[in-house]
Amino acid sequence: MRSLKAAAAAVLVLAALTGCTREGGRVDMGPTGGVPVEGGTATMALPPNATPNWIFPIGPPGYGASYNAGIQFLLFMPVYDAVLDRKNGELTTHGPSTLGLQPRYSDGNKTVTLPLRKGVKWSDGKPVTARDLEFWFNLVKANKAQWGAYSVGTMPDNIKAFETVDDHTVRLRLDRAYNPDWFTANQLTRMRALPQHAWGARIDGGPVGDFDRIEKGAKEVFARLTRHGKSLGSYGSDPLWKTVNGPWKLAGWRDSGQVTIVPNEKFTGPQSERPHLDKVVFKPFTTADSEYNVLRSGGVDYGYIPPSVMAQKGRFEDKGYRVDPWEGWAATYIVYNFNSTHAGPLMRQLYIRQAMQHLVDQKAMSDVIWQGSATPTLGPVPVTPKSQYLSKAMERDRYPFSVAKAKSLLTARGWETRDGTARCVRPGAGADRCGEGIEGNDPLELTLLSQSGSTETTNMMQELKSSLSKAGIDLTVRQQPLNSVLGNSVPCTAKDPGCDWDMSFFGTAGSWYYPLNPSGEQLFSTGASANFGNYSDKKADRVIRAVQYSPDMKAVHEYGEYLAEQLPVMWMPNPAYQVSVIRNDLRGIEQNPTVTFSPQDWYFVKHADKSDKNDKKNADKKEADQ
Amino acid sequence: MTSAAPTSTPVTAPGHEEAARATPSLARRTLDVFTGNKLALTGVVLLALLLLFSYVGPLLYDTEQTHTDLSRANLSPGTEGHLLGTTDLGYDMVGRLMVAGQTSLEIGLAAGLLATLFGTVYGAVSGYFGGWVDAALMRITDAALAIPAMFLLVVVAAIITPSKGVLILVIAAVAWLSPARLVRGEALSLRNREYVQAMRMMGGGGARAVFKHIVPNAIGTVIVNCTFQIADAILYVSYLAFLGLSIPPPSADWGSMLSAGITYTQNGYWWLIFPPGIAIVLVVAAFNFIGDGLRDAFEVRLRK
Repeated sequence: MRSLKAAAAAVLVLAALTGCTREGGRVDMGPTGGVPVEGGTATMALPPNATPNWIFPIGPPGYGASYNAGIQFLLFMPVYDAVLDRKNGELTTHGPSTLGLQPRYSDGNKTVTLPLRKGVKWSDGKPVTARDLEFWFNLVKANKAQWGAYSVGTMPDNIKAFETVDDHTVRLRLDRAYNPDWFTANQLTRMRALPQHAWGARIDGGPVGDFDRIEKGAKEVFARLTRHGKSLGSYGSDPLWKTVNGPWKLAGWRDSGQVTIVPNEKFTGPQSERPHLDKVVFKPFTTADSEYNVLRSGGVDYGYIPPSVMAQKGRFEDKGYRVDPWEGWAATYIVYNFNSTHAGPLMRQLYIRQAMQHLVDQKAMSDVIWQGSATPTLGPVPVTPKSQYLSKAMERDRYPFSVAKAKSLLTARGWETRDGTARCVRPGAGADRCGEGIEGNDPLELTLLSQSGSTETTNMMQELKSSLSKAGIDLTVRQQPLNSVLGNSVPCTAKDPGCDWDMSFFGTAGSWYYPLNPSGEQLFSTGASANFGNYSDKKADRVIRAVQYSPDMKAVHEYGEYLAEQLPVMWMPNPAYQVSVIRNDLRGIEQNPTVTFSPQDWYFVKHADKSDKNDKKNADKKEADQ
Repeated sequence: MTSAAPTSTPVTAPGHEEAARATPSLARRTLDVFTGNKLALTGVVLLALLLLFSYVGPLLYDTEQTHTDLSRANLSPGTEGHLLGTTDLGYDMVGRLMVAGQTSLEIGLAAGLLATLFGTVYGAVSGYFGGWVDAALMRITDAALAIPAMFLLVVVAAIITPSKGVLILVIAAVAWLSPARLVRGEALSLRNREYVQAMRMMGGGGARAVFKHIVPNAIGTVIVNCTFQIADAILYVSYLAFLGLSIPPPSADWGSMLSAGITYTQNGYWWLIFPPGIAIVLVVAAFNFIGDGLRDAFEVRLRK
């Protein structure tokens, strides 16, 4: 109780300091006031079609969804993670909820030493040690192809040697010097501590040993754990998953994806991380409509509404909820296919991309179509919440909405609008000509694959089509289900069949969620795995590499500014991860932009507002429903 | 006593005059039955009004329906001269209804007519030739009928980018089954009539029998069914649009307008929901009324 009061007091002080707003670039801490009480059950709605289906912290490809990782972190303390630094309200890589303390870089940033929090024990009483990190490393190294987070050249490839200094210190020898900020934020955050003493057997019922220290043994141990991971129905009863070190333990995991957690009474981490609630239920929904109906009937304490309902914010507030968009640490964009059979030469012209970007009225789209729940994307580095990665220059909109500027860019390079469509009248590669590969009389016609199922996205594409047509650019929008769009927007060469897509959009809930450091090596480097449009630029490759290797923050700024200007993609409004609707008397909720959650910080308060009168009744009803 | 002056009118036998008055032409008698049906006339008037609204309306009430205007989104009726308000993208609602009406009516009419035409010929061939031809053609029909139409429509529309032509073909492709079965039933009966037998004895071929005798004599059934097919096709367009499978913007149809409007139910933007919904109800009701009227008109027993 004392810690709860201290936490509440800290929240109050922080609220006063930060103003509890995103305007200052800090993470929203939610409302304050009321008398904190221990206990209670909170129900959180999962996103539509988000079905938690993986508990083993090494997820195979296809099981790396944020809701899986979010739940795993509640059971197994992360070594490093994007967590809120309560002193300044910003995100950092370590804190009370992480096992790792401040990492120390040495040897010209070729070595990193990881001190681990002392006194932390597994729920069976055994201490959490460096051996548990080594166990994870050995499993990942021997089975990297089966690890969903693996990509060539990154963890574990970039670690030459894993050394155990003592029970609570690990040293990693790296294959070259890295930018400490990038390495900690984007590499060390992938590390986990797994209970070697409980999970280290090769076969069920077999002895536990150091089998992971040889490759064959590591494969066998990994295969056994993965096999258990696939048995979704037995998560609640499987003894393997009962050995945890996080603030929560599993109380139930239904096939439908409903997960119930209760406090781990043997939690030995920091006092501030002890849960206040008795139980948290993560409820899955197949559609946003079904979630909305349950939310309206009071069936969830922490849910979400579609942006189109933002105008009805007052109704929810009257019912005792607060409405708070959950901003993601993401970039949203339309991919240009630089190798498109038809439009490749058009896409490769910077002036055409600039003209098109001038025709995206991001502010109007954010305010009207997204009802204020989206913010303009100005480059690869997210503008909100503000961070050290964002320079002043990156906050400037280089391509404000202007039909006149777009038209003048096109006319200056030999385009003339006839019958509503711009056509090249000065072909060739000169400075005042259309550009290489564009023939005389070629029309500026493009096809966009866009995901269906969202009114906001459909309207955004209608608005875009309308704006582009004002400068003579004829855009054909083909709406397809998300999976079809992703399936059709694969990297290709002009000669490949199916390389006829010109542009592609799959960002209804944000196109790309970054790890803490918003580097673009997976998005914009030549040949990168998520570089679907085959963007390739030597300087871009160089500035991206600098973010990975140079400790100077200027490298991130140079990368952000260069790509904001070069437009490897068409920047589009970045929608909130979700427009959250939270019961007023449920407090302590920090909507982490990396879309993880910390229910150990949540607590109920008395006398928050009139809805308190129904608290008991609602809690009883939910208990009965569950 | 004066004798009566002879009349200048031709003398006809009283029985013949009565007969001439009692037996107007077939078309006249059909029209009389149709016009005597108040619901059928209501349907005709409704359809005429909707056609005028959709095609003549834009000439009298000019609005911007190509470019969006987000600064005027979701204006309520009567605001800034917008009689029925504006849509979520700032289009004038009345103008949008007109443009959308053109799409819905064109697809509905074309798909209904195409389905009826194909189904009629298919059914007539099947019924007239009988035997293994009938068995084969009807098994194909039965198999196609076993697949839910909406399922097929959704699958096809999801694979192919919807356009007017695509939607007409797709809807017609699932709608021809009903007229095919109906006409096949008629053809089974007609092929044994004396005039068909006589034509065959005189060396007439199958094509002549189908197109000169079977189809013309089943025309009542065909026309009635056609009106229902059109109504169904308009509903199919609306269903598909409601599921997000409509013609890409800036085109619109009443179904996609309704679908977009439903999103704002909680906001109380009734003008985005009721007008397209009412338009769909009216056009479907109009075709059904007309269909009912035509069925009565082609019913021999109801002719006076």
